[in-house]
Amino acid sequence: MGMSAGKGGGRTTMAEINVTPMVDVMLVLLIIFMVTAPLIQQGVKVNLPETKAQPVEGPEKKLVLTVDVNKRVYIGEAEVPLAELEEKLKANVKAQAEKELYLHADRDLPYGVVVDVMASAQRAGITNLGMITDPVGTSKASKDPKELKK
Amino acid sequence: MNRTAAVLSVLVSSAALAQQPVIEISGANFRPMPLAVAPPMAQDDAARAAAVEFDSALVFDMTACGLFQVLDRKSFLADAKEGVTAASITFSNWSNVGAESLIKTQLAADGDNLRADLRLFSVAAGKEELKVSETWTGREPRRLAHKLANAVYKYFTKEPGPFESRITFVRKVAGGKDVYLADWDGKHAVPVATGNINVLPTVMPGGGGVAFTSYRRGKPDLYAQRVGGEPTVLSATGRMTSGVAYSPDGSRIAYSVADAENAELYVAKADGSGPVKVTDTKFFLNSSPSWSPDGKKLAFVSNRAGSPQIYVMNADGSDVKRLTFQGNYNTTPAWSPKGDLIAFTARDERNAFDLFTVNVTNGKITRLTQDAKGNEEPSFAPNGRLILFVSTRSGGKQLFVMTHEGNNPVALPMDKGEYTTPDWGR
Repeated sequence: MGMSAGKGGGRTTMAEINVTPMVDVMLVLLIIFMVTAPLIQQGVKVNLPETKAQPVEGPEKKLVLTVDVNKRVYIGEAEVPLAELEEKLKANVKAQAEKELYLHADRDLPYGVVVDVMASAQRAGITNLGMITDPVGTSKASKDPKELKK
Repeated sequence: MNRTAAVLSVLVSSAALAQQPVIEISGANFRPMPLAVAPPMAQDDAARAAAVEFDSALVFDMTACGLFQVLDRKSFLADAKEGVTAASITFSNWSNVGAESLIKTQLAADGDNLRADLRLFSVAAGKEELKVSETWTGREPRRLAHKLANAVYKYFTKEPGPFESRITFVRKVAGGKDVYLADWDGKHAVPVATGNINVLPTVMPGGGGVAFTSYRRGKPDLYAQRVGGEPTVLSATGRMTSGVAYSPDGSRIAYSVADAENAELYVAKADGSGPVKVTDTKFFLNSSPSWSPDGKKLAFVSNRAGSPQIYVMNADGSDVKRLTFQGNYNTTPAWSPKGDLIAFTARDERNAFDLFTVNVTNGKITRLTQDAKGNEEPSFAPNGRLILFVSTRSGGKQLFVMTHEGNNPVALPMDKGEYTTPDWGR
């Protein structure tokens, strides 16, 4: 009746929504997401010995470092004593140019042995070390590096 | 060429001839090819005795020629007893050390001679590209290695290799300076001119001797002398004669004759007869002649414009052109056997001596050495791809080679000593 919107006594009409508080809230949310987004990406990544992922056809002729179940170390197909590994890799033009290695270690090896090999590679200046895994269902860890390559 | 009775038999497989890589040896995109040189396989005791020298010469040639990145043997993965045929080589062991090419050699005594087989493999293709067999009369493993290295160089570049050429240089000795003639790597150095002061040598055409400037009669005169022979006088004017240079065909010589305040260039027949004065600039100096590869022109140093600069003229003295306009001290021109460049020594704004080349047609100057102490007195290899020079970068005056673009400087494996004014025989 008497209180119509347009002609009210002392009250003014609310013609627009005040967006200022909303902008404030959204801005705070935006900042929170921006801060947390990088945190989400960090964290520990674990390459499991066996994955269900399909094998990726990698670039060919990468340097593969193999450690068999008897703790023998191979560069490609050539056996190298662990004591000489660092020197061999330091002198290796291919390793020094690419700075990367693919580590193919037997799944039954003690963790310490693998770390020793990785430390040698790191001292030789290898900065990228990829871990090779076998897809589930393929042959179990083989002893011969020539077979391991398949 | 036939200094020694060498039996040469180069067997290039027909497959290799049909399709073979040629290394592009200059330009911005040049990348040295990673090359593995396996230690030589010695078949018997005599070969084993020669293997060290053979190996060191072959590795030096491959390292110093600028085409290859010779891989460190410490990285090698292959079994030391690995065979020398494509079927018996595990090529993955060679590709895993970064090798693109592989050289395998076998050495064996053959009566009083030494026989070497060299095989060159492409690692990626896993096949033999080149097989060379050489027998050397007598046992000179280094020269046998140089011969094989030339075959490899020619295979990749289609150009003759410089490894059997000869160089000459001056070595300081107690009480004077001796002129030596040596293999390209400075080995087998033979003193040719000894006693008193002998300087500014140049290899005689054919490589059997040297021509040089000697102070043995007080004032400098020009002599020529074969190894083991007697010196013959080329020019003894009673004035100061110096700096002989043979024309590329060996028929003429150019040299400089100086008086108190004036030095002029002369051109004469190779035996010194019929000298003709080809410069005439009173009160100025003209010296250090170097022939163009066609024998029609001479590069030389003159101070006629105030400071020593490089000039070019026809061999009869006509059409003199100044070539260098930068710097105030440019000397020792050496004309490349390819004809396009003249290398010279320049004193730069920091008073350091460094090597440069100037393009003969457009005058473009390229710096070859920098921040490596003093570098002087360039001389081109017969194929124009390498420059021999004197450097003090590792102490005393030593001989070095580098590519004509200033890359890959390598010291010659010589005994310690003071070596100057090298000249590379053509």
